[in-house]
Amino acid sequence: MTTPATTSFQLNGKTLTVTTPPGTPLLWVIRDIAMLTGTKYGCGVGQCGACTVHLRGRAVRSCMTPVSAVAGAEVLTIEGLSADGQHPLQKAWVQTQAPQCGYCQSGQIMQAASLIRRFPHPTDDDIDSVMNGNLCRCMAYVRIRQAIKLAASEVQGAESHA
Amino acid sequence: MRKPILIAVVALFLAGCVGLSWRSAIAPQAPPLASLFTSEQVALGAQMAAAGNCAGCHTAEGGAAFGGGLGLDTGFGIAYSPNISPDPQTGIGNWSEAAFARAMRDGVARDGSQLLPVFPYTHFTKLTDVDLAALYAFVMTRPPVVAIEQTNTIRFPFNVRALQAGWKLLYFEQGVYQNVATKSAAWNRGAYLAEGIAHCAACHTPRNRFGAENSHSAYAGAGFDGWLAPPLDASNPAPLPWTQQDLYDYLRMGESERHGVAAGAMAGIVHGGLAKLSDADIEALGTYFGDINDSAAREGGAPAALALANSRRSIDAGNETEPGANLYLSACAACHYGPMVKPPAVRSSLALSSAITSDDPSNFIQTVLQGVGGADTPGPYMPGFANALSDADVALVASYLRRTRSDRPAWPDLTAAVAARRR
Amino acid sequence: MHEISNAGIATTRRSFLITITAAGISMTLTLPHSAQAAGSSITSGSVLATGLVSAFEPTIWYDIDGEGILSVNVIRAEMGQHVGTALARIVADELEMNWASVRLRYVDTDPKWGTMVTGGSWSVWQSFPYLSQAAAAGRLALIEEGAKLLRVAKSACIARNGAVSGAGKSVSYADIIRRGQLTRRYSVDELKAMPIKEAADRRLIGMPSEALDIPAKTTGAARYGLDAQVPDMVYARPKLPPTRNGCTVKSIDDSAARGIPGYLKSLVLEDPSGTVPGWVVVCADSFMAASSAAERVKVVWASSTAASVSEADIQARGLKLISDPAGGSLVVEDAGVDAAFSVAKSTIEHDYSTATVLHFQLEPLNALAFEKDGRWEIHTGNQWQSLILPTLAKALGVAEDQVVMRTYLIGGGFGRRLNGDYTVPAALASKALGRPVKLVWTRADDVLFDSPRSPSVQRVRMAFDATGQVTGMQHHASAGWPTQVMVPSFMPKGKNGEPYDPFAIAGADHWYSVGAQRVRAVSNDLANSTFRPGWLRSVGPGWTNWALESFMDEAALVAGLDPLAFRLRLLGGSAKNSAGGAKQQAQVLQRAADKAGWGSKMPADTGLGLATTFGQERDMPTWCACVARVRVNRSSGVVKVERLTIVADAGTIVHPDGALAQMEGASLWGLSMALHEGTDYVNGQVRDTNLNTYTPLRMRDVPPMDIEFVASTAPPTGLGEPATTVVGPAIGNAIFAAVGIRLRHLPMRPTDVLAALKAH
Ligand code: FES
Ligand code: FES
Repeated sequence: MTTPATTSFQLNGKTLTVTTPPGTPLLWVIRDIAMLTGTKYGCGVGQCGACTVHLRGRAVRSCMTPVSAVAGAEVLTIEGLSADGQHPLQKAWVQTQAPQCGYCQSGQIMQAASLIRRFPHPTDDDIDSVMNGNLCRCMAYVRIRQAIKLAASEVQGAESHA
Repeated sequence: MRKPILIAVVALFLAGCVGLSWRSAIAPQAPPLASLFTSEQVALGAQMAAAGNCAGCHTAEGGAAFGGGLGLDTGFGIAYSPNISPDPQTGIGNWSEAAFARAMRDGVARDGSQLLPVFPYTHFTKLTDVDLAALYAFVMTRPPVVAIEQTNTIRFPFNVRALQAGWKLLYFEQGVYQNVATKSAAWNRGAYLAEGIAHCAACHTPRNRFGAENSHSAYAGAGFDGWLAPPLDASNPAPLPWTQQDLYDYLRMGESERHGVAAGAMAGIVHGGLAKLSDADIEALGTYFGDINDSAAREGGAPAALALANSRRSIDAGNETEPGANLYLSACAACHYGPMVKPPAVRSSLALSSAITSDDPSNFIQTVLQGVGGADTPGPYMPGFANALSDADVALVASYLRRTRSDRPAWPDLTAAVAARRR
Repeated sequence: MHEISNAGIATTRRSFLITITAAGISMTLTLPHSAQAAGSSITSGSVLATGLVSAFEPTIWYDIDGEGILSVNVIRAEMGQHVGTALARIVADELEMNWASVRLRYVDTDPKWGTMVTGGSWSVWQSFPYLSQAAAAGRLALIEEGAKLLRVAKSACIARNGAVSGAGKSVSYADIIRRGQLTRRYSVDELKAMPIKEAADRRLIGMPSEALDIPAKTTGAARYGLDAQVPDMVYARPKLPPTRNGCTVKSIDDSAARGIPGYLKSLVLEDPSGTVPGWVVVCADSFMAASSAAERVKVVWASSTAASVSEADIQARGLKLISDPAGGSLVVEDAGVDAAFSVAKSTIEHDYSTATVLHFQLEPLNALAFEKDGRWEIHTGNQWQSLILPTLAKALGVAEDQVVMRTYLIGGGFGRRLNGDYTVPAALASKALGRPVKLVWTRADDVLFDSPRSPSVQRVRMAFDATGQVTGMQHHASAGWPTQVMVPSFMPKGKNGEPYDPFAIAGADHWYSVGAQRVRAVSNDLANSTFRPGWLRSVGPGWTNWALESFMDEAALVAGLDPLAFRLRLLGGSAKNSAGGAKQQAQVLQRAADKAGWGSKMPADTGLGLATTFGQERDMPTWCACVARVRVNRSSGVVKVERLTIVADAGTIVHPDGALAQMEGASLWGLSMALHEGTDYVNGQVRDTNLNTYTPLRMRDVPPMDIEFVASTAPPTGLGEPATTVVGPAIGNAIFAAVGIRLRHLPMRPTDVLAALKAH
């Protein structure tokens, strides 16, 4: 599995073609080849969520995902979530002043984006269950919860106006 | 236990001795020209080849399609699949259509030698002439692959090809599929595909000690490559019955809301093989299996089963501290937590998954280790945790979910079971 | 650090702090010159000063450019506490600037900054006086110059919103600065005497505001050490020896790694500073290649005796040490302690212990090092640059001024990066390879190289007279001492002349009036030699308060008093503690109890427990009290924390929302360490190396929290740590209230609860 292979996929809407050993985790391709450093490394074993990105619209842990598995697929990172940092979740994150050190927050936001898509009106239980895999060592949990609720209500509000 | 084996071996040997094994060779011929076949024929053949997953067995890992060389663990040793590309020397390029048809229907190679029943001619014998001709057309128009033949490691006496004839006497019934008059056209179409080209029973029916499908327990589920090909009959352990619609969803998209996703070899069969069949054919397969598994009779209990599964969905909130619960909640729950009302089983309510309700933990373990989906596969993706979780970790998650997501007894010896399934 | 030894007054933490402060105000007003700000790359966008135009730089702490933009030089590490925002608000408020005109500049190391350290919850407390005074000086200078331009007497002028006005006329700071006539200088003494504004005149301090570092942390733009990169950089992963100390490499075989594309070399480090004995660093052209290669490189080590040490060995050693009355340092030693105990009507004594705790900061360690133009650059996040720079210089064999650390955001500090040991192997590898090396720890590497919170053992005793009054108290504590291992010159001497680690005993010197008091700190030599003990959020109070506040409940029971009443009585005493502090501590305690419904009837198996602390140290008290409400599941042993009520008096709250966030994080850390964390040493290393077995608190375990600050205009104290230490004992006391069992070891696991219930 060390013979390099070529993989192409869509990263934030642009085609990226890389030649790496096929087992190379997507995380390091994103960080060290595509040079998008918003996606973080925390545990490498799928249990902190710092590396969360979207694969075909669903949250996955990029540290666990071999780049070969995303061939031909769409991958979205925090840098691609919105062009101007004005995604409702990002705004809610600022409004609630959620981040402390901030290191977990890209992953938190990406996980939350997939949460509110699946649960447009998330309950505390929904939030706790889906976000529990995202460790925040600064323990900014109270505000992350608040921010998700705020963003969900804003998305709902915007949709009911539309 | 030893006595029946002995008797059977003797019987096989005697059968071989009476000369039933001998078949004449069919003369080689120059590879047929592609122009001999119509494009409709080739297209139909392509469908048949996909439904039969021919490439799945006849392609080595990383090798050229149909070049053979994949080692299959038969339980009697490793059998390497032959090259079925039209290369005249190492493949089947010099096989006439008659030779091809004899192999498919009788399990006899062009040179007259017996084929091992790991090649499911016991099913392909049911194919119609039209489909068989189409398959021949398709195979003969593939690019030829020059391949080196691998030597099988099948143990004595099972490696004595002549004895295969005796085996056939006991276990092989030749003949094209015959419609069941009392059943619908769709049912018969589904049965024709399932029993014939798709050879579903080859994996889903347990085999006897001579490697023959056990006709008394057709579709009762069987181990396969460290996985469990689950029962397709009424003994299927899924909490909700597999209805025609569920089967259609699963075989068409690789995911069923009420059950889960296709993983392991089945993922390749759905996305790489069955994908080429028409909707009508997939519906027919659903009709057939939805009938033989008695789903109609079980559907009445479905609402209660669903309610029970739902009640098990948020069993973790704050009260579980066993290590398996912690692991599940940090590594799995983000995807497997499902909404209360309409549970999309996909990536969600594990209480609906037969990987957990089955008494064989294979599929649970394999799914955790290897994940689901991947390159160029539509549908959900789950990373494999083989490098992230230890055997003990996987065992903890398994026993935790077994306890909380089903009412089945605990799986025994899980850590060893995980270790045994690591690649 | 070097200033301290020069000054020769490194005896207490207090004097160290004064030294830093002096370094700050010894700068006179200087005329404008371009700020250095080399490390201004850690965040992007409008938060940062451009560093291009700086027209007015009255002190090293800030400058104001010709556009009227104030750039505050932040020497503290930004690791989640939004310290830059808090410090900038102090400066901007005193300067009478609009908040919209404020930028932060996170600076690189330079001797001119004095000691660079971020820890101990010191930053705001320490910086407030000199930043306020430096800003007040700038304001006076601007008023003086503005008055001249306006041709109004300066006594008739005021500064407000970035402008000077008087007699109905006004001129902006930007205009004043563009004229470039600011020449006023202040002497050190003048600065020291510089009056600052009345609390009533504050316009930014204490008002709600958003932290400037936050927006970049929601878009992926924020840059941490892990994101550092330079051209021609090589990646590396460490190959760690079996134990932290005393290992040497016997042989190394990299043949299995050579087939990995991109693999370069495995280096056996020669470390003149002795920081990383027995280290091998595996280099490659990508991190994944380095990581796979490291797994294939085989190293044989000669390991030390530490390789057989277990947690139980360390604890047994600690117990033996505190059982010997002659050992250790007497931190508090009142006259008559032994007499009080010998004549006591009754005494009680209990032992308490805590397990090893990991930092597990979410950003695993990393450092990028290279030499450029004869100077070494270290790119990483760090909390105590002044501590590690001399070590780096020694390791590299260069003068200290040839090493500079570039500043990055820190993905969680919690004290891990006070210990800068991780920069040394990166520098050594770069030196050996002759190329920039970015050394990245995997999570497991990070854990195995952690400087964890040492396990601890404590024995607490109390003497009562015939009337039930407390007449004496003893507190003996043994643990690994981070300060002894990493900066021994920092250790003050106890009453018996023996040095002690102030961080490992703070908290035991409490404000309760207990008659004759003895506090004895004992260094656990086996802990110190087995691993490198670290400073972890609160350090010693994490265990001293666990023992003290659990013990106070046990003593109250003996005294026949309610735990609240008992504590209030001791805090209202007339002895040495009566003045000031103890009353404030009593106030927060009473307030928390009131808010939490202390004394009200609880459902079955549910209880309230309280604990209080004065924070990190007596010189900088942050009064803090917590009431925990828990429910105990008798069949599973699970303790569910239903609510935390916390009240704190930290003086002036500069950045209220940031302060609240610190309290939230600190109390949840306390909860996490009480119920969810803790590991064990096995064969000289910690047992748990990743999240499959090390289980910090996650979202589902977060209880509702009610946190309140006492309104105050007193000078600000520290907030990052105090709440950490009250939660554990409050939970322990609540468990006792709920089901009558007393747990004396942290963490409190369901199995411990079940065992105690069974024995009960
Ligand atoms: S780094 Fe991927 S989940 Fe922790
Ligand atoms: S904000 Fe620091 S880890 Fe979450």
